[in-house]
Amino acid sequence: MNAALRLSLSSLRTHRRRFAGTFLAVLLGVAFLAGTLVMGDTLRASFDTMFGRATSGTDAVVRSADTITTPGESEGVREPVDADLVARIEDVSGVAAAAPDIQGAGQLIGKNGEPIGGAGPPTLAGNWIDDPELNSYRLAEGRAPEKPGEVVVNKATAETGNLRIGDTTTLRTPDPVEVTIVGLATFGGEDGMAQVTYTGMTRADAEKYLTAAPGQATSILVRAGPGVSQQELVDALTPVLPEGVEAITGQESAEENTEMISSQFLDIFTLFLLVFSGIALLVATFSIHNTFGIVVAQRTRENALLRALGASRRQVTVSALVEASVVAVTASAVGLAGGIGIAAGLQALFPAIGFPFPEGDLVISGLSMLLPLAVGVVVCLGSALLPAVRAGRTAPLAALRETAVDQSGASRGRAVLGGGLAALSVGITLAGAFTTPSLWLAGTGAALALVAFVVLGPVVSSTAVRLLGAPLDRLRGVTGGLARRNALRSPKRTAATASALMIGVAVVSLFTVFAASLKATMDQTVSRSFAGDVAVSTPGFGGGGSGLSPRLAPAIAEKPEVANAVGLGRGVAEVNGEGRALTVTDPAALGALFDLGDVHGSLDGLGTDGIALTEKEADKQDLKTGDKAELTFTDGQKATFTVRAVYGQSELAGDYVITRAAWAPHRTQDADTLIAVSFRDGVNTADGKAAVEQVAERYGNQDVQTRDEYAQSSAGGIDMMLTLVYALLALAVLIALLGIANTLTLAIHERTRELGLLRAVGQTRSQLRAMVRWESVLVAAFGTAGGLGLGAFLGWVLVKAFDGASDSAFAFALAPTQLTVVALVGLAAGVLAGLRPARRAARLDMLRAIATE
Amino acid sequence: MTTGMTTATATTATTTAMAARVENAVKVYGSGDTAVRALDGVSVGFPAGRFTAIMGPSGSGKSTLMHCVAGLDTLTTGTAHIGDAELSTLDDRRLTLLRRDRIGFVFQAFNLVPTLTVAENITLPTDLAGGKGDPEWVDALIDVVGLRDRLHHRPAELSGGQQQRVAVARAFAGRPDVVFADEPTGNLDSRSGGEVLNLLGRAVRQMDRTVVMVTHDPVAAAHADEVVFLADGRLVDRMESPTADKVLDRLKAFEVPS
Repeated sequence: MNAALRLSLSSLRTHRRRFAGTFLAVLLGVAFLAGTLVMGDTLRASFDTMFGRATSGTDAVVRSADTITTPGESEGVREPVDADLVARIEDVSGVAAAAPDIQGAGQLIGKNGEPIGGAGPPTLAGNWIDDPELNSYRLAEGRAPEKPGEVVVNKATAETGNLRIGDTTTLRTPDPVEVTIVGLATFGGEDGMAQVTYTGMTRADAEKYLTAAPGQATSILVRAGPGVSQQELVDALTPVLPEGVEAITGQESAEENTEMISSQFLDIFTLFLLVFSGIALLVATFSIHNTFGIVVAQRTRENALLRALGASRRQVTVSALVEASVVAVTASAVGLAGGIGIAAGLQALFPAIGFPFPEGDLVISGLSMLLPLAVGVVVCLGSALLPAVRAGRTAPLAALRETAVDQSGASRGRAVLGGGLAALSVGITLAGAFTTPSLWLAGTGAALALVAFVVLGPVVSSTAVRLLGAPLDRLRGVTGGLARRNALRSPKRTAATASALMIGVAVVSLFTVFAASLKATMDQTVSRSFAGDVAVSTPGFGGGGSGLSPRLAPAIAEKPEVANAVGLGRGVAEVNGEGRALTVTDPAALGALFDLGDVHGSLDGLGTDGIALTEKEADKQDLKTGDKAELTFTDGQKATFTVRAVYGQSELAGDYVITRAAWAPHRTQDADTLIAVSFRDGVNTADGKAAVEQVAERYGNQDVQTRDEYAQSSAGGIDMMLTLVYALLALAVLIALLGIANTLTLAIHERTRELGLLRAVGQTRSQLRAMVRWESVLVAAFGTAGGLGLGAFLGWVLVKAFDGASDSAFAFALAPTQLTVVALVGLAAGVLAGLRPARRAARLDMLRAIATE
Repeated sequence: MTTGMTTATATTATTTAMAARVENAVKVYGSGDTAVRALDGVSVGFPAGRFTAIMGPSGSGKSTLMHCVAGLDTLTTGTAHIGDAELSTLDDRRLTLLRRDRIGFVFQAFNLVPTLTVAENITLPTDLAGGKGDPEWVDALIDVVGLRDRLHHRPAELSGGQQQRVAVARAFAGRPDVVFADEPTGNLDSRSGGEVLNLLGRAVRQMDRTVVMVTHDPVAAAHADEVVFLADGRLVDRMESPTADKVLDRLKAFEVPS
C-alpha cells in the first residue's frame, strides 16, 4: 500500500471521533437532499399512475379551445361547451360513448358542522357520469345518484367529515344544497386524488348548481370503439366540432392534469425542500471546513515530523485529502441510504396525516442518487482542500514549536476585503431596494452580504465575543472569564464555527421578519381599505372552498341592524386583449365599505356597460374616464364598456369593477369571496355580528369575522408556512450545533494539559463544565447575534424591494418577540452543544493531562 | 482564609507537625501479570515548615508518591494525609477544594494558563474559590519573585525561568499548608533553575512555608532541608542537611547493588 494512503487510514482509525461531527454533517445534508429528490420522483410517478388509472377509459376530451389567463395564474379559465354536442359526437364513427363532464366547486359540511377541505387543494363537485369507463371515479360502495339531492363522495372526504352512506349534509355550491350521500367512490384506486374533495351529483343537479345555464358542460369525455386509437378518435372528432372547440386525446388530458399538479404543488414543494437542503449543506460546509482546519492544526507536529523524515508536500496533502475522501464517500453513501429511508418514512407518514399518498414503490432514479452523492463528496472534499494544502505546507521545523494562542485571522487584508465586500453588498441591496427596485439586485446584495459576514467574521469575532462576554466576568467570575478568553483564542476558528450557526439563524430571522411584515401588510391593508364592521370571507390562503353565495350579501343588507352589505365576486375577462380579474359587485355601495382613495368620475351608474378601474391599470392601458374598453368574456362574447370611474386604491376591491348585471350574461358558477358589512349607528358589534350570523346560517354557515379577526385570518396561512420553514431550518441549525460541539471537543483535546493544570490548582469539575459550556454559549451568541442582524437587515431589504417592485404598499415589521425567541433558542442551543464536550472535559484524567507531552 | 488553614498554620508554628504524610502507601498500576507496584508500602511524613526533597532513580515511584500525597492520584492501599485530612475519605469535589485551599503546585512545565495574564495566573486558585485572597501577601510575593513589571504579560511573552517564577508565586499565593514541586527546574538552565530553587528555599525559611519537591538533580536537592530517597517503590534512606556531593554519592551507592 502507498505510504500516504496508509498514513491517512491509520490516522482515521485513531481519530475516528474527531470526524464524527463531519461525518454526521455530511450524512444529514446528503440524506435531506436525497430524501427530497426520491420523494419528489415518487410523488410524481404516483400521480402519473393514479391519473393514468383514473382516466384510462377516456380516449378523448372535447373542450373549448380558448382560455383566459389573468396575471399570476397558472391555469386559465376555460369557456364551457354546449352539452348538446354529445349527441353529435355519439354519431361519429369510432365513438363508443360520450358524456358531458360538469365540474365546479362544492364544499361539503362534515358531521361536526365544519366544512371539509378548502385550505389549499380544490373542493370539486361535478356530475356523476354513469358510464364507468368515462368516470374517473369508481363506485366503491353504495350506488350512483339517481334523484335530485343524492350524491356520491370520495372515500377520503367521507372519512374526514365522518360521513356515511345515508347521511344528509350540506353542500356549499356556494348556495347551501341539502344532499344525501348514496355512494362512496375511489379515484384511480385511491381514496381520493390527494386532498382534493369530490362530490358527484346527478346531471340535473350539477347543471342547476354548478353552471350558469342548463345545457353547459365543462368538457365532453369520449370513449373509442374497439380498434380505434386515441389519435384516430381525435382525428375523427375534429371535423364535427364547431369553431372554438377542440378535441385532445385522453393521454394528453391526463398529462395536462399531472402537469398541473406538478406545477402547482409538486415542483414548488420539491424546490422548497431543495432550497432548504441547500442551506443545510451550506451550513455543513462551514462545520466541515472548520473541523478539517482544526484537525490539520492539531496535527502540525505530526505532519512536521513526517516532513522532517522526508515526506514531500504532496504526500502530506494527499494523505489529508484521502482522509477527507474516505469520510466524504462513506458519509454520503450512508446519507443516501438515510435519504431513501426518509422518503419511505414520509410515504408511510402522509396517509397517517390525511394525505392519501398513492401507494407504489419508491422511485429511485440515478439522478436522485448521483446528485446528492456528488454534492456530498464535493462539499466535503472542497471544505478539506484548503486545510490539506496547509498541511502540506507545514515546515519541518514546526515539530519543535509549541502551538500557543493563535491570533491569526484578524489580518488587515481580511478587514479591508471584508469591509469592501460589506460596503458593496449594502450598496447593491439598498439600490435593489430603493433606487431601482429589483428583487434580483437585492438578492445578489444579500448573497454578497453573507460572504462579507463570513470574511469579516474573524475580524469582528474578537470584539463581539469580548462585548458579549463582558457580563460573564462579572456574573461567573474566573470561570466566565476563562470561557470568554477561550472563545477569543482563535478568532478564525470561533468565527468559522459561529458562521455556520449564523447562516441558519439569519435565514430563520429573515423568514420571521418577512412573515411578520406580510402580516403587518395585511393588517395595514385591512385597516386602511376595509371600512366595514364585520366581514364574511373565505380563507385567504388556498382555494377557499366554494366561496360565498352571491345571495348572501343582499340578504344581510335586509337586516335592520345593517347599514350596508356588499359582496365581492370574481370574474375574468380580457380587457383590450389582456386577461384580467374583475370584481363583480354593487359598485354604488362599494365606496361605503372600502376606501378606494381618490375617485374620478362616479361608481354609482356603471350599469351594464360601465366599468371602473384603478389609476395604475388606467395608466397601463392608457384609459381615462369616458374612454371605451373592449372586454372579451370566457363565453367568447365581446362587449364594449365605458370607463365611468378611476379610483386610487385597489387592495381589497381589485383592479376592475363591474356590476352584477353586466356580469350576469357571462357568469359561470357564481361565488363571492368577501362580503363587507357595516352596521347602522348605535348597533354594537356583538348584536350586529349575531344578526349577520343568523343570515349566514341559512347560506352555508360561513364564519362572520370582526375586522381584527378578518385581518388575522387573512394572515393565517403565513403562520403555517412559517412553521414549515422553521421545521426545515431545524436541520441546518442542528448541523451548526454539531459543528460547535465538534470544534469544542477538538479544542478540549488541544487544551488537555491546560485543563489538567486547572483541575490540579483547584478548579472543580462543575466549574470546568461551566467554563466549557459558557464558551459554547459565547460562540453560539456570536453566531446568533450575527444571524439576527444579517437576517433582520435582509428581511428589511426584501420587504423594501417588494414594496418598490409591487404596486401595493408593503409594511415592515421587525417581530421583536419572535426574534427574541430566536435569540433565546440560539443561546439554549449553545448550552446544548456544549453539554457533551463539557462532560468529556470534566471526565479528563488529570494526571494524564498533566503528563501529556 | 478558611478555618482549616488557620489551625494548620497555627500547628506548624508551634510544633513540628506533619504538613503531609503517607502510611503504608501502596500504588499498583494495572493488574495480573502486568501489574506494576509503583509504591510498595511507603510511610513518610513531610514536616511543616521544612523543605523536603524526594529523590530516586527513574521508576522509583517518586512522582507517584507526590501525586498521591497531593491528592492528584489515589492510593491502592494505605492512607495519605494533608494535615489531619485523610484524602481517601474525600470525594472528588472535596479533594478539589482541598487542593485549591491547602495545596500549591509547581510542575515541570506547562504551569500557566496561556489565556491569563501573569497577575491572573497568580491569583487563579483564589479566584476559582471565589474569594478575595490576601492582596498584601500576593503583592509581597510578586516582589519576592521579581515580576512586578511583567504582571500584565501573557505566559507566552515570558522566558522559561520567568514562567516558573510565576508558578512559584501562584503556588504560595493562597498560603497553602504545603507546596508540591514536581521537577520544577527540569526544563530550566542552571541559572534560572537556581533562582527558582532559591525562591522555594526563601519561602520555607523566611515565610515559614512547607515545600515538598520531587527532583532527580542532586544540585536541586541540596537546596532542601532534608532528602528522602526512594528506590523500587520503597523508602530507602533519609538525609538531613544535604549537599550536592553527598546526595550524588548516596545515589551512586544504591545504583551499584541494584
